[in-house]
Amino acid sequence: MDLKFPADLKYAPTHEWVRMDGDIATVGISDYAQHKLGDIVYVELPEIGAVLEKGNTACEIESVKAVSELFMPLTGEIVETNGNIADNPAFVNSSPYGEGWIMKIKVSNPDEIKNLLSVEKYQELIEKEED
Amino acid sequence: MSKNLNNSNYSITQYYYYTLISVEFMTKEDLNEIKTPLYETHVKLGARMVNFAGWLMPVQYESILKEHETVRTLAGVFDISHMGEFIFEGPDVIPFLQYLMVNDLKLLEKSKGQYSCMCYENGTVVDDLVYYEESPERFRMIVNASNVEKDFQWINKQIGNFRVKVRDVSKERCRLAFQGPKSDDLIAPLVDTDLSTLNRFYFVFCNLCDVPAFIARTGYTGERGFEISFENKYAATIWNALLRTGAGAAGLGARDSLRLEACYCLYGHELTNSITPIEAGLNWLVKPKEGIDFIGKEVLIHQKKEGTSRILVGLNLLDKGIIRENYKLFNNGVEIGYVTSGGFSPTLKKTICLALVETKYSSIGTEFDVEIRNKLLKAKVVPTPFYRNI
Repeated sequence: MDLKFPADLKYAPTHEWVRMDGDIATVGISDYAQHKLGDIVYVELPEIGAVLEKGNTACEIESVKAVSELFMPLTGEIVETNGNIADNPAFVNSSPYGEGWIMKIKVSNPDEIKNLLSVEKYQELIEKEED
Repeated sequence: MSKNLNNSNYSITQYYYYTLISVEFMTKEDLNEIKTPLYETHVKLGARMVNFAGWLMPVQYESILKEHETVRTLAGVFDISHMGEFIFEGPDVIPFLQYLMVNDLKLLEKSKGQYSCMCYENGTVVDDLVYYEESPERFRMIVNASNVEKDFQWINKQIGNFRVKVRDVSKERCRLAFQGPKSDDLIAPLVDTDLSTLNRFYFVFCNLCDVPAFIARTGYTGERGFEISFENKYAATIWNALLRTGAGAAGLGARDSLRLEACYCLYGHELTNSITPIEAGLNWLVKPKEGIDFIGKEVLIHQKKEGTSRILVGLNLLDKGIIRENYKLFNNGVEIGYVTSGGFSPTLKKTICLALVETKYSSIGTEFDVEIRNKLLKAKVVPTPFYRNI
């Protein structure tokens, strides 16, 4: 597996990545997650304006073989979703950190950010899962 | 995502079992994972291996979508060694199979195979399978992986005074499917027989890579192709030779999406021990067989004449989303059926599914709701198969 994990991102143990810009968090799924899910054929995008707590289900991602949930890595309001992946869900596979981003959250509890994992910690977690 | 994707992968795997085989056969014993003669070969190719009906099988190599497309445009090689293979021998093979099967062996001849179901007395299905007439006293039968032991027991229980011996040769032999529009051309240099003239459901014994093989013009993908059986020891030789033709390795994931597009029933889904072949839309398969008694005849002939209260239909989803097995169907809030198999069609780029619905809602064009995670989406009954190229 030749998977990429950008060092400037934070990761949730549930395999979402987070890119912070002020109080806005851009969220997607990690390269590891997209690889495990296989070909993604549909993303049911979350509702803009929804206020959800960390750990809540934000939306569902359907691969050819299964449906998986995307959890909120942080508490906040969903302010934007990536409409491009509604038509091109394969972006989540081909460009999980770029064109395949899923949603933007206006973070309401910035203290939660420090509980997210660094790239090193996240890679350790994946190695454990693979063992 | 789930906290542990391997666990979730396990649940994906679990889910996958559910989509591919009946839950009733998923017992703990099935986790004694059996390997086909090609297990190491699959692992070397980078396959993701899952437990399917007790066998460790490749669900995908790189991508289900790519493997699906390769089979639709070129050719794919599938390891189907997990399926069962029985040899029937004896002077009463034909009358015995006439007694077990809903199809009519009078339509069969030497060197030809036939698809059929064997049913219980109440008309529900023990298994769906294909048998091949090698001679009037010797037949080869290929059955579903999840049903091998059940079938073998059922068959032996019915033998009574029929002069027939049945052998289970499943674990001595390797089975491959070679499927796709270019399969004839690609296999030609490897065989000592002209297979291009082999008609659908006929078979030959010939040499494939100088190895004696049984090759039938049958398949489960909706494409032209072959199903092949030979001794285990030649597995890697033949597998590798077929891949060197330019064909791609294809896993169980693509096998499932291909068969769903082609609307072939999968045991545990469209056919079970609580669904009859008539309900599953296999009216054509149940033959009158006048003067011949067969198990389930009374119920099935009655259903064939009078119809059934529910019937299998093909659906497209009009809204966006993916329909999966066991999702419920509603008309004005009243439950009218459920999805037996569903998913994304890589060829048609839309959601397709097979569903058992009350017969009054089964005409083409009828619209009703599918419940997806507490939401109702619109689906429409459409003609089937969704896609076939044979």
